[in-house]
Amino acid sequence: MKPPILIIIMATIMTGTMIVMLSSHWLLIWIGFEMNMLAIIPILMKKYNPRAMEASTKYFLTQATASMLLMMGVTINLLYSGQWVISKISNPIASIMMTTALTMKLGLSPFHFWVPEVTQGITLMSGMILLTWQKIAPMSILYQISPSINTNLLMLMALTSVLVGGWGGLNQTQLRKIMAYSSIAHMGWMAAIITYNPTMMVLNLTLYILMTLSTFMLFMLNSSTTTLSLSHMWNKFPLITSMILILMLSLGGLPPLSGFIPKWMIIQELTKNNMIIIPTLMAITALLNLYFYLRLTYSTALTMFPSTNNMKMKWQFEYTKKATLLPPLIITSTMLL
Amino acid sequence: MLKIIIPTIMLIPLTWMSKPNMIWINTTTYGLLISLISLFYLNQPNDNTLNSSLMFFSDSLSAPLLALTTWLLPLMLMASQHHLSKEPLTRKKLYISMLILLQLFLIMTFTASELIFFYILFEATLIPTLIIITRWGSQTERLNAGLYFLFYTLMGSLPLLVALLYIHNFMGSLNFLMIQYWIQPLPNSWSNIFLWLACMMAFMVKMPLYGLHLWLPKAHVEAPIAGSMVLAAVLLKLGGYGMMRITTLLNPLTNFMAYPFMMLSLWGMIMTSSICLRQTDLKSLIAYSSVSHMALVIVAVLIQTPWSYMGATALMIAHGLTSSMLFCLANSNYERIHSRTMILARGLQTLLPLMAAWWLLASLTNLALPPTINLIGELFVVMSSFSWSNITIILMGINIIITALYSLYMLITTQRGKYSHHIKNIKPSFTRENALMTLHLLPLLLLSLNPKIILGPIY
Repeated sequence: MKPPILIIIMATIMTGTMIVMLSSHWLLIWIGFEMNMLAIIPILMKKYNPRAMEASTKYFLTQATASMLLMMGVTINLLYSGQWVISKISNPIASIMMTTALTMKLGLSPFHFWVPEVTQGITLMSGMILLTWQKIAPMSILYQISPSINTNLLMLMALTSVLVGGWGGLNQTQLRKIMAYSSIAHMGWMAAIITYNPTMMVLNLTLYILMTLSTFMLFMLNSSTTTLSLSHMWNKFPLITSMILILMLSLGGLPPLSGFIPKWMIIQELTKNNMIIIPTLMAITALLNLYFYLRLTYSTALTMFPSTNNMKMKWQFEYTKKATLLPPLIITSTMLL
Repeated sequence: MLKIIIPTIMLIPLTWMSKPNMIWINTTTYGLLISLISLFYLNQPNDNTLNSSLMFFSDSLSAPLLALTTWLLPLMLMASQHHLSKEPLTRKKLYISMLILLQLFLIMTFTASELIFFYILFEATLIPTLIIITRWGSQTERLNAGLYFLFYTLMGSLPLLVALLYIHNFMGSLNFLMIQYWIQPLPNSWSNIFLWLACMMAFMVKMPLYGLHLWLPKAHVEAPIAGSMVLAAVLLKLGGYGMMRITTLLNPLTNFMAYPFMMLSLWGMIMTSSICLRQTDLKSLIAYSSVSHMALVIVAVLIQTPWSYMGATALMIAHGLTSSMLFCLANSNYERIHSRTMILARGLQTLLPLMAAWWLLASLTNLALPPTINLIGELFVVMSSFSWSNITIILMGINIIITALYSLYMLITTQRGKYSHHIKNIKPSFTRENALMTLHLLPLLLLSLNPKIILGPIY
């Protein structure tokens, strides 16, 4: 893609999200969402093959539906409160509609079906933007309407998301699908405490973005999209295999790495609000997540996977891919505790 | 406590920057020096704890365990020298760094004064152990072993996190020193039963309790020697230490809730001892013997009498040293014949007489011969369980007999009798191995002269 066009499109994506985060008028928020979605479609279609087209179409359809649902909720809110300002939403129907629309944008269960397929059809770089930057806008709106969200609905969605994210990722070997299910599960954790303590959601989002960025960067360094190609990394960059090890363990939420911080804080907030069974269930289903991260580390870092002889010579070449900001990203994703 | 923690952290740059022929010497020497520092903590005031800072403290329960942990690091390094000799230098340094990191987390766990800090470090010890077992074990089953180890422990300990946060909200603080004064009795209700279960299951899995012990033979057998040593000697004691700390919060519900676990432990110790009699794999035998000894500790902690706590503490230290020594002996066999099958290396007494002496002493301490501290521990536990209920003496008696049976079986199979034919080509004992056995045995025998140090806070 020509650089000027890429710059304009990236700028539109960022502007869209910024408009969503910074405005207090519902119409402008909707405009921001639409800008964001329209601008990211060319990014998703960077590689012009049928798979990418299918992925972009699916993404467009779900996001457009969600935006329309959001508009419906906004209109109902306008009908009942007479104003366009984003603030406490008094009408429960409007609030439920908005919540449903935003969770559809995020990929929470039961609207999670598009996430693995879209992530699989696009390049690693686009997948990275999809799973990290695109979550910021809906989350910011959820943060702003958090006092009026129906707790039962969101908690149900969160629980089923954690379950789906855990079980869905178990049968995957494609890295992008694994990251998609990981995103579903993490969004579930974030949705669970929005109504109780939205600050923890921001903490979880920040750390999740850091860890996912690091993971995608490591995958891109290796140009690997399957577990099999990741397992050849011990030939090329043995140091990176240990990075993948601690990064995966951090994503799984093992102390003392930074992935444990959001889980600890979320469980603390939930127990402060007298919910004991739900955080226990969520914590135990997070173990399913840990299983498939651990499986990734088994094939990359902890065993030396068999490889053909001509692949073993790759350690002689210095790697030339730019790993922008990789060291600080990895350090913040693992050592913050 | 920083005077132990910072030198241990500094051991990591020491390994990475030493000259290649000096890495083992440097780390072992400085590890021994650090263990000398930890001995100072054994001098405890009688009715109080030594509080070092806001986050760390040491009392008569954690000081012997701390000394055991720091003593074990140089021993682990000495034991690993042979099987790592053919690896490239970076991997050797990585292995040593993993051991040092594990040591660091263990030191901080045993001296943590706040329960959530303890929890974080308790979980943190899993990561280096997982890496050591899975990366440096020798057979393909090590992958499965690592998975079982990690997931059994995590399944038990995630409810513990929720329970600790709940207690934190309820009581206001989880600092161990303060919470002793704020305890309210825990009445018997369904939610309190679940709270009790959530608190205790993590440590039960770690100990391990008989029904949840499946990870232990796998992990012990597949781990390399340093992994087996640290698993058997220290990581199991984490469970016992945690149980002793957390039962202060759970009175008097423990009297009611302890029954199923007592039954499992009492029956389980006989079962696992009997399985030892039928084992062909030497390391597996020692692993099951660990389960059996730890079942005694579980019984002792659940009874909650002063004598039983003393017995539990003494048994933990004694078993740590004995079990680690047995693993080192088994490893010396493994390095020579590259198989763990017992019958392949018989009659070693004729070829390696000094090693036979160590085998004899290790087996004798394993079966709790007087006047070793093993006996003191077991005797206190047996007596206190007799006072709890008279019938347990039958089970305990059977266990002692079967323990003696399998310890002597192991001794006789490996040492006595006519040697197998291929055994003539094995290398003689290294001085390193003899030094290793001595360093294990000497604290064990010397402690029988002054067992007061390891008898715990009730003495």
